Amino acid sequence: MINRVGRYLLWCVLAVPAVLMLTRLATGSALVMDLLHPSGEMAIRLMILAMLPGPLADAFRGNRVLRRWLAIRRNLGVAAFAYALVHLALYVVDMGSLPALLGELPLPGIWTGWLALGLMVPPAAISFDAAMRALGRRWKTVQRLVYPALLIALLHWALLERDWLPAIIHLAPLAIAWALRVGAGYRKVKLARSMP
Amino acid sequence: MIPMNRLLVLALVPVAPLLLSTAAHAHGDVRCDSGPVENWKPMGELKKKAWLEGWTVQKTQIEGDCYEVYARTEGGQNIEAFFHPVTLQKLVVYRRGKEIYRAPDFKPQ
Repeated sequence: MINRVGRYLLWCVLAVPAVLMLTRLATGSALVMDLLHPSGEMAIRLMILAMLPGPLADAFRGNRVLRRWLAIRRNLGVAAFAYALVHLALYVVDMGSLPALLGELPLPGIWTGWLALGLMVPPAAISFDAAMRALGRRWKTVQRLVYPALLIALLHWALLERDWLPAIIHLAPLAIAWALRVGAGYRKVKLARSMP
Repeated sequence: MIPMNRLLVLALVPVAPLLLSTAAHAHGDVRCDSGPVENWKPMGELKKKAWLEGWTVQKTQIEGDCYEVYARTEGGQNIEAFFHPVTLQKLVVYRRGKEIYRAPDFKPQ
């Protein structure tokens, strides 16, 4: 776990991009629509940062950096959700009216965004210690919703951008981490079998 | 035996660079083949063109070798439209990534 001062510092760092975005908005150097992309991108990147240490810690057991990273990953996940909410708030402000919002709902580029955010709600809602204790093993099962949430968020991005490259580039580090975990697991199985 | 999900992940590893290279070629740029910038019409005329469409312009910019307009239509739809910088012809219009208009003589790349 992380101590109080450490957590305070971490959240200050995590808030920096949001403060920069708000400053750009306040000084008029960016329109609300200009911040849609950066806020969504930040949500996805934090999500990936929260999802990386798990497989990496399995691949490199006992690594101290990875242990520290694991200790803060719940904060990273909650921050990802916070940026996704900022992203939604900016979208709602930019659209300006309920009929306009509903009018865009059937578009694949839009409903995928709503779905990705919806999938993030249960894991984010139980991201506190008491819920973790109360749910036991089921807590992890609920957290796994971030996998479909991430894939659908990347689909949302690719559809709006009309470009698959950013989505694939963002998926690459996770693919590598998963491959390393699988590789490490496979070595372990072989080692166990070679034992008399 | 290696579990099935592990096999799947292992199978995906060699496929990833392949996906990456195809995606690099097939991305969503709009190309106008508009030639040297000296021959381009001024942005002011582009805004007028968008205004004549009945749109409320939010932003105009140069995207690659095209003019791009972010606007809201009379019906309140959010759109992203590409214009040819020399002829100011409306080439293609997207609504949240979905193509809703393409000039008949403008071929997809």
